[in-house]
Amino acid sequence: MKKILIPLVALAICMFVISKWTDTFKAFTVFSYTLHQAGNTPRDFPDIPMIDQDGKVFHIKDKHKYVLLNFVYLNCPGVCQKVNNRLEKIYHSISPEEVPSQLEFVTVSFDLKNDNVQKIKKYRSFFGDINGWTFALPYQTTQNDFEQYLQKVGIWAYPAPGSGIINHSVYIFLISPENKIIRIFDPAREDDLTIAEKAQSCLNGKLTSSLY
Amino acid sequence: MLKWKINIIVVLIVFVLFYLLSYPLNNWLSLTMPRHQLLQLPAMFVLGITLGAFFKKIIVKNISYSIAGIIFIMASLIFWMLPRSVDESVIHPAFNRIMHFNMLVAGFSTIAIFRNMIFEIKIFFLGMTAAMLLATGITLRVFDMLLCSSFNIDQQKETGFYLIGIAVGLFIGTLIFLFKKLSKK
Repeated sequence: MKKILIPLVALAICMFVISKWTDTFKAFTVFSYTLHQAGNTPRDFPDIPMIDQDGKVFHIKDKHKYVLLNFVYLNCPGVCQKVNNRLEKIYHSISPEEVPSQLEFVTVSFDLKNDNVQKIKKYRSFFGDINGWTFALPYQTTQNDFEQYLQKVGIWAYPAPGSGIINHSVYIFLISPENKIIRIFDPAREDDLTIAEKAQSCLNGKLTSSLY
Repeated sequence: MLKWKINIIVVLIVFVLFYLLSYPLNNWLSLTMPRHQLLQLPAMFVLGITLGAFFKKIIVKNISYSIAGIIFIMASLIFWMLPRSVDESVIHPAFNRIMHFNMLVAGFSTIAIFRNMIFEIKIFFLGMTAAMLLATGITLRVFDMLLCSSFNIDQQKETGFYLIGIAVGLFIGTLIFLFKKLSKK
């Protein structure tokens, strides 16, 4: 009996360590781990003051409508632009009766050092007439506070030293009028049409909340 | 006396190489995914094996401890191939050094365990390792989504390609080892 006990104990210890490390075998990347650590949906969307492209300070919780929110930074060499181009398609695929009356798009920059109101305004202008799509920055928030905020949201962001690049998650969050994250989309896994359909289903109350 | 001197020299060489790979060369080796996963990680494992090869008296004789050791080695390899572990080790040099030390110990343990291990378990271990490397390689090769935030998709696919090659090589080596042993019987 003792003979089998030693390998079993070793196996149990190893499985325990890997289980803890991957949040019970659910999160194998830093992106998914940060997201899982933030908690299951539906959960409260953490509050932070934001400033939009016109210099107006706002809070997501004060919108009292559905919000589709993502994070980018303007110096991103690739993925942010791709995600925003896809969001643009999603934006145009949703009925004008629903945007902005029921649903609003918010894109938040997490580059506090380099991005400012003028830059996000100029960047937003590239998308043409996008009424109901706000580009924003955290307002009067320190880097440290913002990092904690991102963790609560479930976003991994790590500025690579010396390169100006911020490694980050690309999740898109659907926030309810009650300021709860009700659905999280992963643009790497889901196509534009699926995201648009699921977002619209949530608006119409057909879909219940889930992680993805 | 001469044997002891050789052993001391080998230990010194291994630790100098360990230091070089872990400190001065760490930034360069952590710059791309193939360097980190295909050079730095296996280099530490090979250093452990080299170290173990010169200490012939260190043998794990108890089968229970041998199997426990194999579980530890397999779990170590799995752990350091997880995308989260790769990212954390690139971001935090101290965490990366835990990986280096872990791989050194795993390599050393492999030799100490293999000296007195029954043939069937050796084949099982090598086959499982090849299968694990192959599965990881295929995952990295075919996934079109970024798994490690510190690197890019191209590096991820390149690492996957080489891992598949290493896995196939290890599998062929295991087969040769198996048939050589069987022909002797």
